[in-house]
Amino acid sequence: MLEIKNAYKVYGEGDAKIVALNNVSLHVNKGDFIAVMGPSGSGKSTLLNVIGGLDRLSGGEVVLDGQRIDNLNENALVEIRRGKIAYVFQQYHLLTSLTAGENVLLPLLFRGSDSESLDKAADILRVIGLEKRAKHKPRQLSGGEQQRVAIARAIVNNPSLILADEPTGNLDQQTGAEILSLFSQLNKEGLSIIMVTHNPEVAAHARETIFLEDGLIVDRIEQKRRLPNPNIH
Amino acid sequence: MKLYHLVLKDILRRKKRVLYAALGIVIAAMTVVGILTIATAGQTKIYAQLEKYGANLNVIPAISNIDMTLGDLSLGALTVGENYIPETKLIEIRQIADGMIRESLGIEDDGYIATIAPKLYINTQVKSTSLLAVGVEPNEERAIKTWWEIREGEYLEEGDYALLGAQTAQLLDLNIGNTISLNGREITVTGILEEAGSSDDYQIFVPIKILQTVYGKEGIVSSVDIRALCNACPVELIADGINQNITGVRAVAVKQVAESEMGLMEKMNNFMLALAGITLVIGAFGVVNTMMTSVHDRIKDIGIMRAVGASRNQIIKAFVYEAIIIGIIGGIFGYVAGTLVAYVVGPLVFEGAAINYVLQYLPLSLFLSIFVAIISTAYPAYRATTIRVSDSFRSL
Repeated sequence: MLEIKNAYKVYGEGDAKIVALNNVSLHVNKGDFIAVMGPSGSGKSTLLNVIGGLDRLSGGEVVLDGQRIDNLNENALVEIRRGKIAYVFQQYHLLTSLTAGENVLLPLLFRGSDSESLDKAADILRVIGLEKRAKHKPRQLSGGEQQRVAIARAIVNNPSLILADEPTGNLDQQTGAEILSLFSQLNKEGLSIIMVTHNPEVAAHARETIFLEDGLIVDRIEQKRRLPNPNIH
Repeated sequence: MKLYHLVLKDILRRKKRVLYAALGIVIAAMTVVGILTIATAGQTKIYAQLEKYGANLNVIPAISNIDMTLGDLSLGALTVGENYIPETKLIEIRQIADGMIRESLGIEDDGYIATIAPKLYINTQVKSTSLLAVGVEPNEERAIKTWWEIREGEYLEEGDYALLGAQTAQLLDLNIGNTISLNGREITVTGILEEAGSSDDYQIFVPIKILQTVYGKEGIVSSVDIRALCNACPVELIADGINQNITGVRAVAVKQVAESEMGLMEKMNNFMLALAGITLVIGAFGVVNTMMTSVHDRIKDIGIMRAVGASRNQIIKAFVYEAIIIGIIGGIFGYVAGTLVAYVVGPLVFEGAAINYVLQYLPLSLFLSIFVAIISTAYPAYRATTIRVSDSFRSL
């Protein structure tokens, strides 16, 4: 469903030039759960950003469901973000002025499907176990609860792919594990997930892990043994 | 949930910032409303003064001139003399005046419209002091001289009675009930006027018929004051009509004098409005500045909204909604503040002017404020949509 061909991304010019992605190619099938690992500055987040159109490629292609999306204009990218791809961030990125329920409704509001939304938000909050917290503001929720709300917001539009950038980075181990099992559950239901992490234990929840270093994929392993590659930090 | 709910919630979260942004608009709207309210009060005052002029038209014999004196006091020249207007012409004057008012205002009523007050001026001697006796139609004169106030006694009635100007009563030491002799006829003083600061203070008013009889001037008058009933009445047309159709008289529209005063007022209004316009522009810059800060404060929120599917238009719309709310707040407070400023400053600008709030300026204030707020928000809103989503997160 997702094909990344020779993705190339540079920041800056001249001496300040940084190659964030250096001809990265990746194939993602429906139902894949891929962890992206690597040291800081290896291009993990850039990879997620260019897949979702939050950042532009300097070269190469991103093809989603047969459609090239790296060269789409802003309006077309908006449509992709409204339907096919959703994000989960390390910092949760909830709007602090809205309640948990309203944050979940946000994608529906922008999509313009308001009528069914209240029920849908309630359903999703129930699925992730936060139906009683719907009227709470983000600051009244724990980190794990906020991340659950962010996940609920990501899946409210039924996307086919979730891009998660260090989704457990700010959470303690137990809460992180809960979030990851939520991801696993969503993945079993058919949702594709690409998750950036620097934590091998987190990556172990994915079905496949790719390792980036200096913008290059240096290794990829199927997660059958569910253990991280000891050579990779 | 709709987009404006989102904006409202966000505004409630950032109350102080939003009020600060609205402050620029408040100051601008306050200046405009204040100036307009003061100008309106000034105009009303000038109109009131025009009313006090009494007659809108003055009809005099074609050629006449006489010096006015009271004792040794010279009171300037008055346009009367041996030339008189025959009373028969009063009917023609009324026909022209009423006809033209009917025509211009579309009145179909048959009754008299304009007040027509004939006068007979006689230089005479009372208690060996020379003064001007004025023969008037008591009712018509009262209708024209609305500012007349009676200090003592009562207003003039038909009969051998006299109404004295304040100075006349004082100089001749006359009181209510005293009698004076006009050409041998005993006339009783029944009323004394309050001082008006005009030549009326030095005159003595007697019913015109009595004065005509006493001095043998039956059937003639010295001048005619005409008061049309409104500020919009076509006094120049009436004057032209009289001048062209009635021989031996000359009609002068008093409004001509007033108009130059109104012209000056208008120039001042324009100047003040230009000042208000500049304030509005400065206010707009203030709002642009605050909106820029507001955009900067919300780079992350904008990034979040775009990451979850907000289009550029939706972001701009959100800012426009915010601008409308800032405009409404600014418009209402600006109107109230402007009116208060007018109440304080107005009487200093136009001495004695009664300041009244003008409710029509509220929608004007709202419109101007919303307009300025939207215009000032357009650029920051555009900027907001050009921030790359990934940058908005990275900048944190």
